[in-house]
Amino acid sequence: MSTKSSDPRVASRRHFLKSATLTGAAALASPVVPVAQQSQEKASARSVPQPNLAAETQPPAADPVNQTSSGGDFMVDVLKTLDIDYIAINCASSFRGIHEAIINYGQNVKPEILTCPHEEIAVSMAQGYAKIEGRPMAMMCHGVVGLQHASMALYNAWCDRVPVYVMIGNIVEADKRAPGAEWVHSAIDPAALVRDFVKWDDQPASLQHFAESAVRAYKIAMTPPMAPVLLSLDAELQENPIPDRGRLRIPRLTTVTPPAGDPVAIAEAVKLLVAAENPVVVVDRYARTSAGMARLVEFAEALQCAVVDQAGRMNFPSRHPLNQTFRRAAVVGQADVILAIEMNDLWGTINSFADRIVRSSRPIFKPGTKIVTLGTRDLYLKANYQDFGRFQDVDLAIAGDGEASLPALTDQVKRLADASRRSALETRGKRLADLHQATREQARAEATLGWDSSPITTARLCAELWAQIKDEDWSLVGNGIRILWPQRLWKFDKPYQWNGGAGGAGIGYNAPASAGAALANKRHGRISIAIQGDGDLMFVPGTLWTAAHHRIPILYVVHNNRAYHQEYMYLQAMAARHGRGITNAHIGTTLTDPNVDYAAVSKGFGVYAEGPITDPKDLGPALKRAVAVVKRGEPALVDVVTDPR
Amino acid sequence: MTSFNRSLVLGLVLLVLGADEVAWSQSAQADDTASGKRVYISVGCFTCHGRSGQGGSFNYPVPALARTALPVEAFNAIVRTGPNDMPAYPASVLSDKDLADIRAFLRSLPGRRPAEDFPLLNQ
Ligand code: HEC
Repeated sequence: MSTKSSDPRVASRRHFLKSATLTGAAALASPVVPVAQQSQEKASARSVPQPNLAAETQPPAADPVNQTSSGGDFMVDVLKTLDIDYIAINCASSFRGIHEAIINYGQNVKPEILTCPHEEIAVSMAQGYAKIEGRPMAMMCHGVVGLQHASMALYNAWCDRVPVYVMIGNIVEADKRAPGAEWVHSAIDPAALVRDFVKWDDQPASLQHFAESAVRAYKIAMTPPMAPVLLSLDAELQENPIPDRGRLRIPRLTTVTPPAGDPVAIAEAVKLLVAAENPVVVVDRYARTSAGMARLVEFAEALQCAVVDQAGRMNFPSRHPLNQTFRRAAVVGQADVILAIEMNDLWGTINSFADRIVRSSRPIFKPGTKIVTLGTRDLYLKANYQDFGRFQDVDLAIAGDGEASLPALTDQVKRLADASRRSALETRGKRLADLHQATREQARAEATLGWDSSPITTARLCAELWAQIKDEDWSLVGNGIRILWPQRLWKFDKPYQWNGGAGGAGIGYNAPASAGAALANKRHGRISIAIQGDGDLMFVPGTLWTAAHHRIPILYVVHNNRAYHQEYMYLQAMAARHGRGITNAHIGTTLTDPNVDYAAVSKGFGVYAEGPITDPKDLGPALKRAVAVVKRGEPALVDVVTDPR
Repeated sequence: MTSFNRSLVLGLVLLVLGADEVAWSQSAQADDTASGKRVYISVGCFTCHGRSGQGGSFNYPVPALARTALPVEAFNAIVRTGPNDMPAYPASVLSDKDLADIRAFLRSLPGRRPAEDFPLLNQ
């Protein structure tokens, strides 16, 4: 921004500017000072060095208009070594330097720009993408207003333990900021806003500093427990020529091997588990790679134990006979040993809590039940935001990455369970299989309730959807409201078939995170589906434009219950409790009058759409046509008017 | 856990009371059912239990009410006292008549049907 030139045209323009600037400066130099202050100020004028106004207001000696390299080019060189495929952005002048370098110097590949009409969309896309792809996407925004928009989505990613590689633009040196937007868009510590929910951040002061921090940031983001990281990029550093490229060095990236649990502790846990009558595994943000699910299946089968999947990731096949997710209270109630793997809210999983005037809770496990934890949660927490949940006392806490540690547990279970023990385990497995089957039968029978109703039940919706995708290579990338029917009715048995939730329960996650995940699925030729809440879509409808623009194949099925329905229920409960009016809970919670026509909205963004569908008989054909569009490589949306849950 | 205990209690209530149906004339029953449906929607039972009484989820899964087999006393007691996270509806805002109509409506709904009859539920 402040490089020099000897172009004569620049010099003559500058001459004009110079007199104008000096005139202004002269006026500023003689302010009207109240009389009472004058003598005091005269005295201090002698001791305090006066600003060299002439030097500050002089035009630069040289004022170049072209340059052959920029710091942004070097930043792109660094990013290319990190193998980052995409950078989701909402364009902003504070990163115009690196933006230009990405598209021209970097040829818009690795990273390729994804244009997002909101910073929250950019972050959430990165969150959804990373969970499918197993490595981060970058996102970039203004350091002040952009990061303020991005912050809720960053909180989701933080709670969800997902790496997002954030870069923001800032103008560090005050005298380099133009009046107006550049001042209001600059901060001395822009990352302060989100420091409670990013794992690491830096504001590099030189290009070499950038190279080292960029590689460090990636390494930190990818070390379990994973989380977002942030680099604040000074505009001068991005835009100005590189003083000496030859002196700059890009460090080599070596990611950290995830830690496996201590073998002695693992042996102790296995002893408890093999001896137990009713061991139970509860699991949440466990599967980190495509190997995770198979490892858990092998472990559960070796032990023939119940598995309760809290579905933070695609941990365990839905129709596996040992899957007891929908019998959680029963299996936890009978457990004598509980192994909690990568659980965030263990307390909430094994205790019941009453949402009543006097709030109360109690364990749902028996006294004496041994509780063992395995995960990286204990290794890293922060204080302010309370996403860590209530403290649960346990018998053995093993620090270690679940996926990295599980093979050792499985081996030891196999070794420790002798023939007689094994036959007992087989008997237990058969009993669990029967109970799993009974739960499935119950789900199918319950799904018939309200089968032909309009608004359409979520069970019917999911049954119709399953019929259209079950023979495809599918991936359920979003289910904002976490309706349980997919897990109750569908056969999930591939590591990419479910992508977890928001993490921080921040609304506006589902639509963009699903698009990000669908982008990751695209290269594998998978059909991505998102069950999309209407309330969530209202936050970030621009996601649809991004999906159309970047040809992201995804089917959004709008679960349009025309309300922020969870809140509607809470308000209804409040109204009943207070007993002074129980017919007003729709006020402030529903999205009616006018009803939103999401198909029309979607078409406006260039996305194929059908709906609103109110008759369940129309649903199957509409979904079939939409799936055909997605198979052609484009996004599609079907707006389904649904019953609440 | 509590729901286990409650089912036990309700089971006993059922045994003691025997048949739980009040005899209505056909037309009065239809009126009550229509009124019950209106009230069920307007006082927000549907928000948690679904318009078809199919159940739903609130802080945890909410039971289905379609064709409820709960005897009238047990049904009323649940609505008036609100076990666990079910809100209690006092008589000051939900009259006995409205509550009876809601129950009539729920009793009129089809209950669970054999999933075998639904091709989409056999895939
Ligand atoms: C805010 C959510 C909510 C609303 C509104 C609500 N319920 Fe419930 N209801 C529940 C929950 C949760 C349960 C399960 C309670 C438990 O844990 O046992 C329940 C249980 C019941 C049961 C017992 C069902 C069984 O078979 O065990 C009945 C009957 C019932 N509700 C009737 C009603 C009626 C009638 C209304 C409207 C006047 C209503 N509820 C409104 C949440 C709700």
